[in-house]
Amino acid sequence: METWIYIEYAAWGLSALFGLHMVVDWLKTDSTYSEDVLTSSREGELEAMTEDSHKG
Amino acid sequence: MAQTDITSAERDGMGPHGTKVGLLRVLGPAHVWALGVGIVLVGEYMGWNFAVGKGGAYAALMACWFAGILYSCVAMIDSEVTSTVAAAGGQYTQAKHIIGPLMAFNVGLYLVFAYTMLEAANAITAGYLVSVVATMTGYGGELDQRPFIILVIMFLAWLNYRGVLATLTFNLVITAIAFAAIIVLFISTSGIVGDGIMQHAALFEGHEKPYGWIGIVAAMHFGLWFYLGIEGTTQAAEEVRSPARALPFGTLAGIMTLLIAATLTWYICSGVLPWEFLGDGVNGSVAPLFDTARLSGSNALIWFLGIGTLFATLASANGCINDASRAWFALGRDKYLPAWFGAVHPQYRTPYRAIVFLVPIALIFALGAPLDQVITFSILSGLLGYTFMPLNILMFRKKWPMGTIKRGYEHPFHPIPAIVLLSLCGFTFFAVFLGYGTQLVAMIGFYIVVSLWFHFWRYRFVNRGAQFTMPWPKPQGY
Amino acid sequence: MAHYTPPAQSKLSQIIDVIVLVTLTLGALFVPLWLNLAGAAKTVATPVENPTWEALGQNAVQAAQYEALGYTPETAHDLILARFDYSFTTGALIVMIVVVIAYYALMLKFSDVEYREVISEKFGEKK
Repeated sequence: METWIYIEYAAWGLSALFGLHMVVDWLKTDSTYSEDVLTSSREGELEAMTEDSHKG
Repeated sequence: MAQTDITSAERDGMGPHGTKVGLLRVLGPAHVWALGVGIVLVGEYMGWNFAVGKGGAYAALMACWFAGILYSCVAMIDSEVTSTVAAAGGQYTQAKHIIGPLMAFNVGLYLVFAYTMLEAANAITAGYLVSVVATMTGYGGELDQRPFIILVIMFLAWLNYRGVLATLTFNLVITAIAFAAIIVLFISTSGIVGDGIMQHAALFEGHEKPYGWIGIVAAMHFGLWFYLGIEGTTQAAEEVRSPARALPFGTLAGIMTLLIAATLTWYICSGVLPWEFLGDGVNGSVAPLFDTARLSGSNALIWFLGIGTLFATLASANGCINDASRAWFALGRDKYLPAWFGAVHPQYRTPYRAIVFLVPIALIFALGAPLDQVITFSILSGLLGYTFMPLNILMFRKKWPMGTIKRGYEHPFHPIPAIVLLSLCGFTFFAVFLGYGTQLVAMIGFYIVVSLWFHFWRYRFVNRGAQFTMPWPKPQGY
Repeated sequence: MAHYTPPAQSKLSQIIDVIVLVTLTLGALFVPLWLNLAGAAKTVATPVENPTWEALGQNAVQAAQYEALGYTPETAHDLILARFDYSFTTGALIVMIVVVIAYYALMLKFSDVEYREVISEKFGEKK
């Protein structure tokens, strides 16, 4: 049953591919967009919208 | 004070306060159900049976139901608070608004650790399953499980990285299959269709309470494993289309599904497997439902339950990556952790840095620590979190009594669920102490050290008033 | 209360914070393992020589299930007889109770101090 040896190699290879894809995309994203845009998410945005219109 | 209706349709997470890239609001109640049940259902396929080893089969059933009560309280309390505080981070954000920043920091860490450890446990189990399949198909050598453990974590992290909708739709499908497998096994072995193979009376004879009453207390430790993780539904709050409706619905439907699945699982397994074998999850029954299927003599059942077990571990690991990364992201966004983690991917709209960062952490746990240790750490972090919840709801109702803010769901019989939950947590602390007292103290020691670090160092980077983001009136008593 | 403006954190300091946190986490997980304090092992108190299913306390149905799973009385011996030890000292129990309660007390105390600051900055001073 040599098949399982190939399956093991395939698992190693796929892991590396998924990992590599994430890292490459991550670095690409970080260098394409500014940090301000990337970390602009704020908690409770939708609550804040209603808060503004109902102040007081 | 305006009552905020967070259920209205035009909300998409893009507000006027500077969010250029936010998480995507795409999920419905079925995804919430899949997230909650998906994380937990693996507990029925492996791990719960340690409770049998701790006190015998009856003890496990009592633990199953007592833990069921504990989690029903958790689900009710959580549904109320989260239908009001709908933000990524779940219980972390709740704690921040209701108890205070240090508690919130601790809760955030409980979440990340409970889920990352559970993810590691799932990957270990998936690796083991592949090796069983290899042996069953006639592979003679010793299969290296590591590439499969790594592949599970890498693939699911990648899926999470690419977008939440695909991730949780995937979870919905595999969770439904894994749940169906339990139902099919029950129907085909219990005597409803054809001849049953259940022999409860004969198997229990002479082994009703192998450890006496203390065994029933001790079993409670792993009784939690039947349901651990259902509270994770709240992490999806910022990605659900109508959180105030979908979260309570998905969570409560989830706990009902699990109560059924847990009881059926106990019934099926304890009626077929002798308790000493069933109760030893390391040398005996690693995957009890699968072992039961093996004794049924049906090849179709063996394959179905084998696939069910694998799908359950994948669904759970997948949900854990989703939840842990949301909690880590929320901590970063508030600068409780370095702000760098609070980033959202402009295209996939996921907290991509949190997802990538937690991959090596999960790998260290999955490859470097034994399974029962990992499970115990996960349970302990969960337990600390459940102890926080009754405190949370008591203060929530005190600071904002009914009628002062709009609640999407109000849980009945307050404060009875909170008191029941607190007592059951105390009971479970004692159960953990019976087997893993040292880990318990080590774990709490860790949280104390980290808390001091947070209070005296890290908190200086946090905005004070701005972290209170809910449009609520001033809490009573301040 | 005056508005609090947090200092900006440098990249290096952010990295150090992450390292500290990860080190503490790994420490909490692995130190009990290294010190061999990770308990809860099962032991066989009174081994049975030349075991039979009867001597192991198994009735006919239980024995049949073990055989279906591929066990013999010899291979099932340890699995069947091993038991946990639930004995504990009152002292250890008290230590645990104190640690748990002290932890939550510390948490609520510090949280409350920080929370009052948050509320007073968000809503203004109490009238």
